[in-house]
Amino acid sequence: MRTITFRIQRYDGSRSWFQEYVIPYESGRTVLWALIKIREEQDPTLTFTAACRHAICGSCAVRVNGHSVLACKTSLDELLKVFQTDVLEVTPLSNFPVIRDLVVDWRPKTERLKTVKPWLIPTQAGSAATGFAQSPQEYRRIASPTDCIQCGICSSECEQLAENPRFLDPFILNRAYRFAVDSRDAAPEEHIRPALESDLWKCLHCYQCVTHCPKEIRLDQEIAYLRQQTIRMGETDNPGARHALAFHDDVRNTGRLDEVTLPIKTEGLLRTVTRRLPFAMRLIRTGKVNPLQRPRPVRGIEGIRKIYAHVKEKEGKRQ
Amino acid sequence: MLQYDIVVVGAGGAGMSAALAASRDRHLRVAMLSKVYPTRSHTGAAQGGINAAMGFRDPTDSVEKHFRDTVKGSDFLADQDAVEFFTAGMPDIIRELDYYGVPFSRDEHGRVAQRPFGGASSPRTCYSADKTGHVILHTLFEQCLKNGVEFFEDWMLLSVVVSDGKLDGIVALDIRTGEIHPILARAVVIATGGFGRIYWTRTTNAFNMTGDGTAVCFEAGIPLKDPEFVQFHPTGLARTGILVSEACRGEGGYLLNKHGERFMARYAPEKMELGPRDLVSRAIETEIREGRGFGEGLQAHVLLDLRHLGREKILERLPQVRDLALTFEGVDVIEKPVGIRPSAHYTMGGIHVQDYRTCATPVEGVHAAGECSCISVHGANRLGGNSLAEVVFFGKYAGLGAQETARHRDFGNEKRVVAEAQRWARVFETMRKKTTGHNLFQIRDRMAETMWYNVGIFRTEKDMVKALHTLDELWEMYQDAYIGDSSVRYNQAFVHYVEVGNLLKLAKAVTLGAIARKESRGSHAREDYPHRNDGEFLKHTLVYKEGDRYRLDYLPVRITKYPPEERKY
Ligand SMILES: Cc1cc2nc3c(=O)[nH]c(=O)nc-3n(C[C@H](O)[C@H](O)[C@H](O)COP(=O)(O)OP(=O)(O)OC[C@H]3O[C@@H](n4cnc5c(N)ncnc54)[C@H](O)[C@@H]3O)c2cc1C
Ligand code: FES
Repeated sequence: MRTITFRIQRYDGSRSWFQEYVIPYESGRTVLWALIKIREEQDPTLTFTAACRHAICGSCAVRVNGHSVLACKTSLDELLKVFQTDVLEVTPLSNFPVIRDLVVDWRPKTERLKTVKPWLIPTQAGSAATGFAQSPQEYRRIASPTDCIQCGICSSECEQLAENPRFLDPFILNRAYRFAVDSRDAAPEEHIRPALESDLWKCLHCYQCVTHCPKEIRLDQEIAYLRQQTIRMGETDNPGARHALAFHDDVRNTGRLDEVTLPIKTEGLLRTVTRRLPFAMRLIRTGKVNPLQRPRPVRGIEGIRKIYAHVKEKEGKRQ
Repeated sequence: MLQYDIVVVGAGGAGMSAALAASRDRHLRVAMLSKVYPTRSHTGAAQGGINAAMGFRDPTDSVEKHFRDTVKGSDFLADQDAVEFFTAGMPDIIRELDYYGVPFSRDEHGRVAQRPFGGASSPRTCYSADKTGHVILHTLFEQCLKNGVEFFEDWMLLSVVVSDGKLDGIVALDIRTGEIHPILARAVVIATGGFGRIYWTRTTNAFNMTGDGTAVCFEAGIPLKDPEFVQFHPTGLARTGILVSEACRGEGGYLLNKHGERFMARYAPEKMELGPRDLVSRAIETEIREGRGFGEGLQAHVLLDLRHLGREKILERLPQVRDLALTFEGVDVIEKPVGIRPSAHYTMGGIHVQDYRTCATPVEGVHAAGECSCISVHGANRLGGNSLAEVVFFGKYAGLGAQETARHRDFGNEKRVVAEAQRWARVFETMRKKTTGHNLFQIRDRMAETMWYNVGIFRTEKDMVKALHTLDELWEMYQDAYIGDSSVRYNQAFVHYVEVGNLLKLAKAVTLGAIARKESRGSHAREDYPHRNDGEFLKHTLVYKEGDRYRLDYLPVRITKYPPEERKY
């Protein structure tokens, strides 16, 4: 008889260990089914949370072989196929304090969530007695971000958060975005500015949050939008914005990046000299960049400039 | 000792509405307790929508029509003054929710979109795609954060302490630390949701819908009203019982038997698939019993066919439905029909609320709202979309009612609350140390099986009496149950032990109410009494628990406008 082995990370408040459970294989089952089976038939001390069973309450996220998933929605057959194994390792979400076994603590996240004012700051156009008018197009902008079930998978997968506890969890940025683009919200800046102040520009574009999000929310595009808005808000005097603007200008001017001036524009001359010099010297030595050769406009630069003009015109219309 | 002016127990739609309303008065200290993180509450699972006679989609719709539909849907067991109050106030609630930021789907005029729903004479169900409960829950959570409501998540209500018909306080377990706390309060709002989990495996409800608040109030002497009325949702997924939203019928889905017939033509020729839930559920079970379904035993089912709606409409209006069918049945509804069967969905009965304006119960200081309560606006059968409406609406009025209560009431008897907390601490200690006894999961599963087969969609005296014996036997076993976890920290086995105890008490009340109601009305279908009997049973059941004794009583229904008539669709 085929069996599946689960290696589950346990934690009792002081001690952490892996424990193995073997269950008979059944086709068409989910990870949650297996966890419940283990708890009810083998070990009533195994601790994890789940409620709705259908991917809407966000209780059941865990990591399986290092990937964060909703236990209730994840098919065992698929996992076994993808990983080519009958042994699955289940661990709690990363970037959360663990309470017991697979149960994590949400309290610190709730506190951080509050920083982006995760509530509607209503415009004068509506009132509690009348509600609002909002077009279907305007609704569509908030349709996807309000799919978020706050399961914590994006936090668990976030490479920046793992290194930099100042960075806001992707689901929190999503919440900021959700209000920033809501036609009923009077003060997008109040949701965006706290994100900016928490290292918004430090997102690494690793796309882990996007690829793992069970609701397929395009957090990358949302973060890009938030960044653009900070520039519109006049927040251009920070490395992230300067970097983006340098990119923007370089490509418009020559069709390519000027790798010599890019760090200077981003971080300023002094920081570049003190922090990047050894690295730059290495690049020069190996012939990766040549400081004496300034980039000249590429062929077809007119086409690139037309694209810029086109985008600018469209943006103007959207404003 | 913890001390609050108002404690709201439960953080679903009802609890958060209550906390929000109560916390508007900055002089009152309000705390909210929930055994799960607030946004994990079951309100988030509601897909289809929330009813209010806005008249956007159909200008001829009116509060009056909503009122009449609800009374008719309830099979005339709803209290009409309460229903009138409720339906009249709902349009304002929608505007308020809009103002809080609920992302409602919109019509071309920018107004909240509405869709048709079972049992409604006009399309009046406001929605946000098929995640209406989810967005309402999250929006209320946001507003609670804004208002600085104090959350105690992972806290479980164990007891409501009452003396001389008045609230003293409550006792709760901090699941994380294992500490059991006495909490003093001038007023409490119980908003702990329904108890569909008495049918454990065949239900649409989340794992934690174990009716704790209802059972705790029942234990404290507050009667359970109309517990025998349990709604079975016609469209649970065949294998798991997971709900596919009523929106799939609302948007025009067909129900087919194995001959490919739209069999609803036999049961509700006019409304067809849009007939009310009880009728559609019984129709499906009848098809299955009479051999026109697919499969056998617990695998039996009929088909829900959405193909004719087309890819675009399915993706636009029913994306979650498609997703569920794909994940749990491996069926893409764009290409194939999906197997469905009724699943226990909603408990109409609950904590007896005697004043619908304040949601006050007979015990001074205790208010109740949401699915845990029975006001009654749903009577013998709830209409789809009326529950989200109820939780937000009556949650608010319970919060306001609790405000009033808290302003004029003092704290109760501290000693009794402490003593009750100590008693629970001893129970916890005993259960942690116990090393042998009956398996808790087996007790629970036997209860569920007995309820599904004997006190389910079709009922007879003989079956139900059998269920009663089994329940008594299980209660005996429960006294010697073994949980198998000695941890103080996050002891879910103990939490589950308390939940199963609550379910057993409620299951017995359901069965007793059902045996005594010798008629068929709404969701309560007696094969041995197939007709409604207004002469004897146009009244609410009240079940009291006095120690180990259960006692039945009745209460007249308040009829203001619509005299009972035969319910035809
Ligand atoms: C799958 C599904 C779909 C539905 N769709 C619709 C729909 O489209 N339209 C509609 O109108 N209705 C719908 N309903 C019904 C509706 O969702 C529920 O009736 C309603 O949301 C109940 O809300 P509530 O606030 O009363 O309870 P819940 O949302 O269930 O919240 C209960 C709260 O109480 C807490 N709690 C419970 N026990 C304890 C305890 N011992 N101690 C502390 N806290 C406790 C829980 O943690 C939770 O926070 C649906 C129901 C289901 C199951
Ligand atoms: S159990 Fe609710 S999301 Fe998995």
